[in-house]
Amino acid sequence: MSVLNSLKKLVPLGVALLLSACGANSVVVEGSYPSPNVRPIPLTLGVFFDADLQNFSYTEYTETGKEEYVVASGQTHMQLFNSVLPSMFANVVVLDSLEAAPGAQVDAVFAPSIEEFQLALPQKTRLDAYEVWVKYNMRLLAPDGTYIADWVVTSYGKTPTESLRSIESGINDATVGALRDLASNFTLTFRSVPEVSEWLVAKGAGN
Amino acid sequence: MMSESLARIITTSTDLFRQCCLPLLLLTLSLFLSACTTTTVDEFRQGETGIEAHQSIVILGRRQGSTYETREEFVNCVGERVARGTEAIRVIPEKEFIDSLFPWFEPRTAPLRTSDLQVLMEEPLVAQKITEYGIRYIVWVDGQTETSNRMGSISCAVGPGGGGCFGFGSWEDDSNFDARVWDVSSFASVGTISTDSTGQSYVPAVVVPIPLIARVEANACSSLATQLQQFVNGG
Repeated sequence: MSVLNSLKKLVPLGVALLLSACGANSVVVEGSYPSPNVRPIPLTLGVFFDADLQNFSYTEYTETGKEEYVVASGQTHMQLFNSVLPSMFANVVVLDSLEAAPGAQVDAVFAPSIEEFQLALPQKTRLDAYEVWVKYNMRLLAPDGTYIADWVVTSYGKTPTESLRSIESGINDATVGALRDLASNFTLTFRSVPEVSEWLVAKGAGN
Repeated sequence: MMSESLARIITTSTDLFRQCCLPLLLLTLSLFLSACTTTTVDEFRQGETGIEAHQSIVILGRRQGSTYETREEFVNCVGERVARGTEAIRVIPEKEFIDSLFPWFEPRTAPLRTSDLQVLMEEPLVAQKITEYGIRYIVWVDGQTETSNRMGSISCAVGPGGGGCFGFGSWEDDSNFDARVWDVSSFASVGTISTDSTGQSYVPAVVVPIPLIARVEANACSSLATQLQQFVNGG
């Protein structure tokens, strides 16, 4: 009887293991991002991360259309912006909603979003590298919600294949590379976006 | 009776060969073959060099190429070797330097020419960090190891009585690396050291595969580091 009970307990475990073997591999991207060495703009910036960004994940499919890898990078994107923006602005306020901006005493609200995410795996490209491309839509809004600037930033990251590196680790490192590329590109080109430049001049922070 | 004795002698000889001579033979073969690496180092000097005890260097990998990128492990290997020995030089670790000067030395933003470095040093935060580290030279390492001429095949099988492999495989590795040395005090390139290391690796498999690997990249690292140490010290 006790053997039967033990078997009964093992059946759900076996079924779970069998099902998990059929599902996609999940990669939750983790990385650390340094703070940029740039002159901060003497303004207060509100930041709003919408639910799409916070929960962003990309699914890579096999050639037969089955889910192969699910790459969750929403949290690491927030971590990146939380590391970069406080070095770029004198004050940064994270907002729960765009409606909270007028009462938060901010000069503008920054709302990034991911438009496209592409992953290239070595087993498909026949190259010795994992590659990640990401296309972002950066929006800078006035506290009342009107547009100040709206521009596109692309980033790219790659990491070479190595004999003892897992596919998950390769995807993680290539994504972190792409995020670092985003941070460097965004930090150094922010002031040169024409609409942003005009806004900075209007706010007396053009230099 | 005679044939039984002969068979016993042959079996004993085979066992003796397996126990004693075969490992010895393979060891000798491995020592001989693993040494099959040729390394050439070239130095091109464009200016005087020298470094004081309080100064340091940083060795960075070039990662702008679309087809390859200089491996972090190779850059770290050169750095560790330059920081060793009687002529040791203080080397700032690559990752620490790049993170500390973020975002100025990322693949997209790193200076490609000495004139770019001069412009970069006009950024007060960059100049301050480089002064804090006491960096006199920035060394840009660029290159890769390529594998070619793969030949042979090895087949392995497992059965109830045991398993084993049989076959032979070989390939050639070629490591090509350049180290360009920039003098931070004069914003000038003071020289380039190039290393080219080639070697053939073999994997014979008689029951057990025995990898006889040519340490091509390790030799390239060692040669480049020794020459770089002498170059920076002004030798």
